[in-house]
Amino acid sequence: MSEAARETVLVTRGLSKSYRTGHIVQGRRPALEDLDLTLLRGEILGYVGPNGSGKTTTLKLITGLLRPDRGDATVLGEPLASRAWRSRAGYLPENPYLYDYLTPSEYLDYVGRLFGLAREKRRARSRELLALVGLEASAGLPMRRFSKGMLQRVGLAQALVNDPELLFLDEPMSGLDPIGRRLVRDLILGLRKAGKTVLFSTHILSDAETLCDRVAVLRAGRLVRVGSLSELLSLHVTHMEVLAAGVASNAPGLEAALHVEPVGERLRLEVEERALGRVVYAIEAARGRVLSVQPVRRTLEDYFFEEMGAAAAGERAGPSRVGEWGEG
Amino acid sequence: MGGGLSRTLAVAANTFRETVRERVLYNLLFFAMLMTLGGLLLGHLSIRQDEKILKDIGLAAMDLFGTLIAVFIGTGLVSKEIERRSLYPLLAKPLTRGEFFLGKFAGLATTLLVNLSAMLAGLLLTLGVTGRGVDAALLTAVYPTFLGLLLVVAFAMLFSTLTSSTLAAVLTVGVVVVGRFADVIRGMREVLPGVPQQLVQALFSVVPNLANFDFKNRVAYGEAVSGDVLAWVTVYAAAWTALVLGLGLASFRSKDFQ
Repeated sequence: MSEAARETVLVTRGLSKSYRTGHIVQGRRPALEDLDLTLLRGEILGYVGPNGSGKTTTLKLITGLLRPDRGDATVLGEPLASRAWRSRAGYLPENPYLYDYLTPSEYLDYVGRLFGLAREKRRARSRELLALVGLEASAGLPMRRFSKGMLQRVGLAQALVNDPELLFLDEPMSGLDPIGRRLVRDLILGLRKAGKTVLFSTHILSDAETLCDRVAVLRAGRLVRVGSLSELLSLHVTHMEVLAAGVASNAPGLEAALHVEPVGERLRLEVEERALGRVVYAIEAARGRVLSVQPVRRTLEDYFFEEMGAAAAGERAGPSRVGEWGEG
Repeated sequence: MGGGLSRTLAVAANTFRETVRERVLYNLLFFAMLMTLGGLLLGHLSIRQDEKILKDIGLAAMDLFGTLIAVFIGTGLVSKEIERRSLYPLLAKPLTRGEFFLGKFAGLATTLLVNLSAMLAGLLLTLGVTGRGVDAALLTAVYPTFLGLLLVVAFAMLFSTLTSSTLAAVLTVGVVVVGRFADVIRGMREVLPGVPQQLVQALFSVVPNLANFDFKNRVAYGEAVSGDVLAWVTVYAAAWTALVLGLGLASFRSKDFQ
């Protein structure tokens, strides 16, 4: 189905928010400016951007924790201020604090009551969700004994109590170990399979790349770009990677490659697309064998660092490319 | 049951569960019981006043420890939720801020009711066991005390939406102290004739007269409290509590949770 024909579940129009700064001399710092964003039914939209770019502010504006300075939104066909759409949506805040004196079962039961679910339904849903997030063995333990990752999983479970059509997840992978991340990733993919719509903010770019149909990029409170990963990245096949065997790195004709690197018995060559034919011919002429040819696209991370420029580069975590930013 | 009422009750039930799992509550309850038993010892030291002293100290313990619960748990009811951000996932649900706020109030009100009932049961048991007879009239002192405590909770919640829980506790204690001595404010003109009458009247009007809820002495001395008086106290408490809760709710509704 084309995007134009798909139902929109969220439309924001000029949504803006600024925060007060200073105590004596008060000013205002813009946190989000004129956000126009559309979310289509059944898609997973990754909401990404560096620290303070306005990701969490956006989710708080939509969920009613903050009031917009100006602008408006429609959620599931209802005005933003309406409570009606909330029984069809779920929200996981960033680093959720859940009542530590409760057990996960008690907490989910409480949340179920807020949705008006009957006792039996609440019990069944609680069991089902705790199994889904891998916490059935800890269902009766007080949450004060839980690790950050376990709390994050309970947080996800509470966002699903009402079997929502639309989910807002703020950094859902935050604080999770690799097993937990895999579990949440599978859970989000399962939600997509079930036809749910998910808007999730993340600073883990590989997660956005793996999970999202589209990505919205924020910078300093402004939406820089929205598009599918292919729109954002496919135009930018940077080079081809050729793996060859039985050929010396100084064979004639290989100088057309951008980079030649011996890897054990093999050669790895980085070649511009237009020089590919010449390089393959040179390998065969030297009685070598071409083992594979692969296009190398820009990753989402490459895209961000190019788009964001020096400001974002300054926020890179450590000297190596790790693909994670701080919370936004 | 209406959706709004059912959600308010869900918040109230959870707040009640939260407060009964607080260790401080049991410490306070323990000291209240200890104080009542202390009254028993004091009663032995006075001639023909033992029953009056026991009732007096028992009722005073209920008032004092009830006030401590109302102030120190009441100021944390909303502010802790804001500081720890535990209300974020809840307010994104069909729950309105009003339902949340009133649910928190109702939850602590239930805790106070259960505590007062437990302390009253302890006092009646002590009276019964020591052969002094169970006095149902004690209820006419406990009921206004409960109403006064509800008003203190409303103030604690109002202040906790405006400032930190520590400062809110200080302000609530201030209201309790000034409210208990409201009659002194009214009589200020006689003590300090230079003070403008309007100022005295204004001061007297902005602070509830918490002495209106104090029937401990009357009941301990066996003086009856009429139904009319109790009805008037109920209306007075309802008006003040509704006003203060309304202000707290307005403040809570206007909050941005950054």
